[in-house]
Amino acid sequence: MSEAAERTGRAPGGGPGLAGYAGRAVLPIVAAAAILVLLPSVWFADSPYTTSLAVKALVFASYGIGFNLIFGCTNQLFLCVGALAGIGGYSTAILADRSSLPTGASIAAAVAIAAIVGGLLSWIAVRRSLGVIFTGIVTLVFSLAFANFLLGQRDLTGSETGLVITGTPSGIADDQVGGYYLFVGVVVAFLVVFRILQLSHVGWAFRGLRDDEMAAELAGVDVARYRVYAATVGSAMIGLTGALYAYSAGFVSPDTYAFQQVDVRVLVLVAFGGLGALLGPLIGAGVLAVVDERLTTAQGEVWGFDVVQLREFFYGVFVIAIFLFFRHGVVHAAVTLARRAGRRRRRDAGPPRPAPSER
Amino acid sequence: MRAVVLDGIVIGLAFGLLGVGMTLVYGLGGVINLAYGQIVVVGAIIASLVIERGHSQAVAAVVGILAAVGVSLLLDLTLLRPVYRQHGEERILLGLLLTLGAAFVIVGLLTARYPTGALFISITGEPVSILGVPMSRGSIWASVIALAVGAALLVFLGLTTFGRGLRSVIQDETGARLVGINPAFVRTVVFALSGALAGIVAVTQSMSGPLEVNRGFELTTFALIVTVVGGLGSVAGAFLAGVLLGVVNALSAHYIGQYITSVILLGVAALTILIRPRGLLGR
Repeated sequence: MSEAAERTGRAPGGGPGLAGYAGRAVLPIVAAAAILVLLPSVWFADSPYTTSLAVKALVFASYGIGFNLIFGCTNQLFLCVGALAGIGGYSTAILADRSSLPTGASIAAAVAIAAIVGGLLSWIAVRRSLGVIFTGIVTLVFSLAFANFLLGQRDLTGSETGLVITGTPSGIADDQVGGYYLFVGVVVAFLVVFRILQLSHVGWAFRGLRDDEMAAELAGVDVARYRVYAATVGSAMIGLTGALYAYSAGFVSPDTYAFQQVDVRVLVLVAFGGLGALLGPLIGAGVLAVVDERLTTAQGEVWGFDVVQLREFFYGVFVIAIFLFFRHGVVHAAVTLARRAGRRRRRDAGPPRPAPSER
Repeated sequence: MRAVVLDGIVIGLAFGLLGVGMTLVYGLGGVINLAYGQIVVVGAIIASLVIERGHSQAVAAVVGILAAVGVSLLLDLTLLRPVYRQHGEERILLGLLLTLGAAFVIVGLLTARYPTGALFISITGEPVSILGVPMSRGSIWASVIALAVGAALLVFLGLTTFGRGLRSVIQDETGARLVGINPAFVRTVVFALSGALAGIVAVTQSMSGPLEVNRGFELTTFALIVTVVGGLGSVAGAFLAGVLLGVVNALSAHYIGQYITSVILLGVAALTILIRPRGLLGR
């Protein structure tokens, strides 16, 4: 949890000071960016296969950051990440194919469409004051309807086969280092936006409305406006990721954005990282990518089954295990551990201090 | 036209049963069971194995229903224990994620072991004419069973002491505890009941066509939509919504086309939620 992270670093006896505050705000992003930039040269530079896996992980991290903004920060369970990404991807593909818009303009238009759709869904949910579950179900219904729409409108979307995107700028294909760096840029940019929102007055409103909606409303926070705001920005992020991924992969198909492929994974990876935590989605996406890769390439037999056949089974066990043992996400767990260790060290060093209140 | 509507009602009754199973568990435990469709599939696959062994279809149906009850009880007694210790939205979310994991575990095991598994219960005999429409015997049996089970459920919930106790837990858990009802026990019984409903749906669905191993998620989605449209916690609402959605489904599939049908069906569901967020018969 971000606020927990912010609290733990506070030096004893006084605030952290402006420089320390700014440093802590950007430090995680700088560290993550450095690791991501260096990763290819130390690990997978020459393997297209591994590169495409890494690109996929980054794409999911980007979806996750958008979803985290919507669900983690403002408690709106948007089960239409795949659909929003699909709106981004299909809109660019169709615009690029049927109009003479330049690439940048068609991507911008697609992002705008995704943002408007996401904002509208949120506006409806807010106006009808749907709770978490009902928002989840309405957006789930929207996802399923979108998937069927893609299959049904053969002329527009190419049905199961999807659409091929021509005129992809060379070098950003999803199995090349150029594609990898493109998405590193996207992830870092999203993290920066997320951090800026967190530290601005918007972040205060988000925390307030997530902790206690009624109290926030009474304290003068316009809960409805901030919800729609978060959904619009988050959907724009998801739409942009979907559009760029479409370009990078060179085609779009219903499978790319299917509910089972996208939403389930995004929900799991964001919850694994920790709802509302800045780096949560990135860590979750990384871990999930490794687990996935292990399950795909594993060999041998378990109880007379081929391991590959049991992929879904192990995936389910993984999901159950993380929610039983890391209910608030690994970031939260790590912060709690670090805090405990820190307290013990301080206790050993000097006179006992009152323990900071636990959340 | 009449034939299409009747077909819709037959499918809708099965949806209704599924919705009832889901809505009871939600009303009582506050858990949206995303593994529900997989429980149906477990019942179906086990029943098909019993038939393969050479037993009669009736025996297979009973064993399948019992298997579904077993899986449902297992979920309640093991995986969902930590969920019940949570409250409010925490509980709903944790329940959602854990049952999602359970769904993957079940479907993973079943597809690995029985990749082409399917249950098909064949009921022979000439089609019977109803309102001038020839209906297959399987469909008629399925509808009769669904109606009988639905009626039995309404009687059970409305007239028996246990049913009253159950409804009191849905209304107010603390209040029920104060008058001497054990909510944990009632919850376990309701999980068993929802498992039985899942098993019955597995049997009735397979009377008009094979029920394959990979249908779990689809069934869960239908159950979820029916539950929400009918009103979370409302048994009669779930039945009404099931039949309504079944008929809409059949009509638009016949007159408009399959893919757009799903869009219409989902649109109707979304509209109901938006116009009446508590569902058709929700409180």
